[in-house]
Amino acid sequence: MKAPERPAEQTATMLPVGSPAAVRGYLRLLAVRHRRGFGAVVGLHAIGAAAALVGPWVLGRLVQNLTAGSTEDYIARSALFYLAALLVQAVFTGLSRLRGGILGEEILADLREDFLVRSVGLPPGVLERAGTGDLVSRATTDVDRLATSVRDALPELSVAVVSLVLILGALVVTSPLLAATALIGAPVLLVGCRWYYRRAPQAYRDESASYAAINTVLAETVDAGQTVEALRLGDDRVALTDAKIRHWIDWARYTLWLRSVFFPSVDFPYILCLVSTLTLGGLFTLHGWVTPGRLTTGVLYAQLLIGPVDMILRWYDELQIGQASMARLVGVREVPDADTDDSLHPQGRTVNADRVRFGYREGADVLHGITLAVAPGQRIALVGPSGAGKSTLGRLLAGIYAPRTGEVTLGGARLAVMPPERVRAQVALVNQEHHVFVGTLRDNLRLARPDADDQELRGALDAVDAGQWFEALPEGLDTEVGSGGGTQLTPPQAQQLALARLVLADPHTLVLDEATSLLDPRAARHLERSLARVLDGRTVIAIAHRLHTAHDADRIAVVEDGRITEFGSHPELIAAGGPYAALWQSWRDEATD
Amino acid sequence: MSLLHLPMPDPGSPDLRSSLRLLAWLGRSQRKGQLLSVLWGTLLMGSQAATPFLVGIGIQAAIDHHARQLWFAGAGALTLGVLQCAGSLLLHRQAVWNWVTAASQVRQLVARQASTLGAGLSRRIATGEIVAVSSGDVEKIGWFVEVSSRCGAALVVWLGVSAAVLWREPQLGLAVLLGVPVLAVSVWPLLRPLEARFTRQRELGGKAAELAADTVAGLRVLRGIGGEELFLDRYRAASQKVRAAAVRTARTWSLMQAQQVLLPGMFVVGTTWYGAHLVVSGRIGVGELVAVYGACAFLAGPLRILGETAEAWTAARVAAARAVRVLAVQRDEQLGGETGDGSAEGTAAALTAPERADLHDPATGLTAYAGRLTAVVCGDPDLAGAVAARLGGHVPVDGADSASRPASATLGGRALDTLPLESARAAVLVHDKDPVLLSGTLAELLDIPRSGRIAPAAALAAACAEDVLDALVDASPSAGGDPMRARITERGRSLSGGQRQRLALARALVADPPVLVLDEPTSAVDSHTESRVAAGIAELRKGRTTVVFATSPLILDRADRVVLLQQGRVAGQGTHRELMHSQAEYRAVVTREEPVAAASSASASSAAPVSASPFASMSASVRAEEKR
Repeated sequence: MKAPERPAEQTATMLPVGSPAAVRGYLRLLAVRHRRGFGAVVGLHAIGAAAALVGPWVLGRLVQNLTAGSTEDYIARSALFYLAALLVQAVFTGLSRLRGGILGEEILADLREDFLVRSVGLPPGVLERAGTGDLVSRATTDVDRLATSVRDALPELSVAVVSLVLILGALVVTSPLLAATALIGAPVLLVGCRWYYRRAPQAYRDESASYAAINTVLAETVDAGQTVEALRLGDDRVALTDAKIRHWIDWARYTLWLRSVFFPSVDFPYILCLVSTLTLGGLFTLHGWVTPGRLTTGVLYAQLLIGPVDMILRWYDELQIGQASMARLVGVREVPDADTDDSLHPQGRTVNADRVRFGYREGADVLHGITLAVAPGQRIALVGPSGAGKSTLGRLLAGIYAPRTGEVTLGGARLAVMPPERVRAQVALVNQEHHVFVGTLRDNLRLARPDADDQELRGALDAVDAGQWFEALPEGLDTEVGSGGGTQLTPPQAQQLALARLVLADPHTLVLDEATSLLDPRAARHLERSLARVLDGRTVIAIAHRLHTAHDADRIAVVEDGRITEFGSHPELIAAGGPYAALWQSWRDEATD
Repeated sequence: MSLLHLPMPDPGSPDLRSSLRLLAWLGRSQRKGQLLSVLWGTLLMGSQAATPFLVGIGIQAAIDHHARQLWFAGAGALTLGVLQCAGSLLLHRQAVWNWVTAASQVRQLVARQASTLGAGLSRRIATGEIVAVSSGDVEKIGWFVEVSSRCGAALVVWLGVSAAVLWREPQLGLAVLLGVPVLAVSVWPLLRPLEARFTRQRELGGKAAELAADTVAGLRVLRGIGGEELFLDRYRAASQKVRAAAVRTARTWSLMQAQQVLLPGMFVVGTTWYGAHLVVSGRIGVGELVAVYGACAFLAGPLRILGETAEAWTAARVAAARAVRVLAVQRDEQLGGETGDGSAEGTAAALTAPERADLHDPATGLTAYAGRLTAVVCGDPDLAGAVAARLGGHVPVDGADSASRPASATLGGRALDTLPLESARAAVLVHDKDPVLLSGTLAELLDIPRSGRIAPAAALAAACAEDVLDALVDASPSAGGDPMRARITERGRSLSGGQRQRLALARALVADPPVLVLDEPTSAVDSHTESRVAAGIAELRKGRTTVVFATSPLILDRADRVVLLQQGRVAGQGTHRELMHSQAEYRAVVTREEPVAAASSASASSAAPVSASPFASMSASVRAEEKR
């Protein structure tokens, strides 16, 4: 049976995935950090597993003695000894599981915290380019997958390996001849495993992806209910879901086929092992090579083998899934830090772009030689059609991207090589992305200025016209907001929150990329007015799609196709009679006259 | 029974009277599969349980120096082994089939429900809950379906073994018959605390994951403004809480593991001890002692399924209850008088040539004339949204205010609510403020029920989406440069707000409905592009009925007629230029000027507009005040 088709890759992964060497290196780091815990788990389990070998041994001795005509006394002593061993086994099994659990949780906590520590240190340019979707899926899905591996697979596997080694050892001690017989089926097992593990991990990943795809489609159908109804897409959505279900079933059938080959290739060697130890071992006994007692013990040991073997096989692919997730978590560590020069300090507040060229891809520039000087306290508006490069220019002026050629400087110092922490003390960018963090309103504001008191926080909210809805919140600054259980802020409120943060952070230069676009026109006008009061004297570079904003700027730069095509004050541009003037005319019509 | 027949062409209509009835309905629809898996389970466990007896015979033979018996035991063990392999494989396959069948059936039902209800479903039940039915709940129902048949097989085998031992040695048999269930339920006292601790751990884990996801999702904000340490500390605290809770779970879990070694072990020791006495007294042979030892050690395992079944049953009932809740939701509209479905079909057919009918909303007095482009200006965006929705008819009821429902919009004099939903939607397409871009290729996005009059390329051009096509191609390496094959990610998240808006507009234009209602279609588009989009809409909709809710003069100027809504009623109409001259209120909304104070004197209109931007030069008085 052939594997079903895989759907085309949906999005390119923007962040690196750890190389096997990097994963190994990180694992070594963890192993060293937790070597004592690991040693304890293995040691405790070894004692428990050794105690588990006592039962068959006692029974073998009993069989031996019973055939020789045993006494009640011997039976009682055997039972007591067996019981004592059982007690040891129980206690040490419990202890090793507990230590294993504690160890697993420590490693997991390390993994997820290490990941987040590295993530929040990523260079802003990398984040801007890669987006956060991939990172979010690593922080949730991959951490979650790894939890299964670390919490269950790792302890179970190490325990199973220890058990397997001990049982084989006990078999050899009992009778090397029987031990050799027990391994008769091993080649079949090895061939089966090789075949299976070559195909299984990828197939299971595909199966679970196809399973998740059904839910993605469903969630979209529900989410887009209005759109689906308006465009009469109901039947299409049903057909699409059925197709996704079909695809999932194809994968389920394929993995079922893999197991249909794999299961017998595990079960059958085990059967062979049991039958051969019993039959051949019995023949050895008939020849007097092995005592009946040892035969009993040997056969029972052979029966014990299936436990750890099964466990190893079961958790092995889980571990492989975990390894893939691990590679994605470790990958974040491989993002190189931006080359920064700690000695750079801006002298003054002039923002200067000098013959800047920039593109997201090799050979496809978005900006073609932009030169722009912004004096301290000046207000510049960037206008122009979508896709002309306004937002890109904004990001360069905020130091998020480095120009390909030319340079962007603040007070003579190159922004792109200044440490991000220093850049943001001077320049801040607010764009349409208005993230409200899960937590209290206070948390959401204080990130901009950790030492701010409640008075200052309220002041910032007032400055962005958020006072009204803020007063209506029963718990004030302690109100839980953000996705999940909290109070849901509307997009305009979230935008106000972003601007309030900006007021608190108080940089001397601001880049506002459509920062009030979500508010309705009247509210936006009012907010902009309140904000102007607070931002008096700051340098502001505003990207706006409403010409109103442009009208009031000191200078307007019309950006078209990656170039500044018009530059000047509003009256100058109107007088010039270029495209800006034409647009303004149709916008304001005769009302402005 | 084959997976090849899935998904079913029609998943059927489930019994939704209660969660139990739903489970029973699912069970009935795969009776044969259930029976087969009990059969295979019995084969598997039966041969497993019988193996120790053959081991006993073999060892006895070795002791007795009975070669033929030894060969017999070996051959028997081999046969049982082969049966065991077969049983294991068949059971597994059947269990997966049953599981997949139940899961795909429930998922099909949920998908159909979601498609039928449209906007009505997510209004009533959160999206997350609906998706939970299709993921977690489906798994729990499937789990129960799967485990219940294994449980049946385990019971059969337990009774069988007990009967066999009972027949040979009554006291030992009784011990097996009674002891094994006691062992099976011995885990139960620990199960509840374990579950409670695990639930707590999962809750905390969920919260920590949410924090991590949230921090990472807002990372650009954090990196741009600061606060990383604040959020890291918060996450570390949450992560350590998870760790502590998980260690508590591990304590109970390890106790349970120890118990699972100790109790069955003691049972084995007890029976072996008793069996040894029987051997001494000559009642059974040594071989049989070995058999009893093996059988007892084996039996405790399968009966643990009892516990699993009980657990699955509890989980499945909760899951089924949730599924019933989602599947039982019905489209709730108060249509007043005649309803649109069934009996009204005859009158519904009366709607001919919707493209030549005027659209009228009695509540506001708004009329859009056939074949014309009407723009509607309304100071309140929420009101605009409500009026736009009403123009499409069949508005889902939102809560208890159904009594105060305004009358249905009419098309050519016919109330839209009296038409079947499908015909109403076909006649009037309402393009709301936040249309969702469904993920898939661009070709798939534009492949919607449409008139065929307008080519996708023409619609994309009218919506000025050229730069969107470039962005899509850039982000979609697998498209090989063809924008129609480029993928749009979920909700179009990889695109900017303005790009999404123009793509959605292009989709509405491709549909080319007789009547198109657009609510703020260009609110996130820059002025340069907006003026071109406005021209595109006017050109493409020539001769068709179109209503645009907008406040931008660039759009309003293109309309044949502009209607101003104030306090929910029509307050004026005319062309954009006429209204700009004659209506101060209109001018206030459109130019974002301060609404002219109650006295709407003509002289107020000549006052300089109050500037409106972050870098607005403040009015002189304010500035003077600050200087002091």
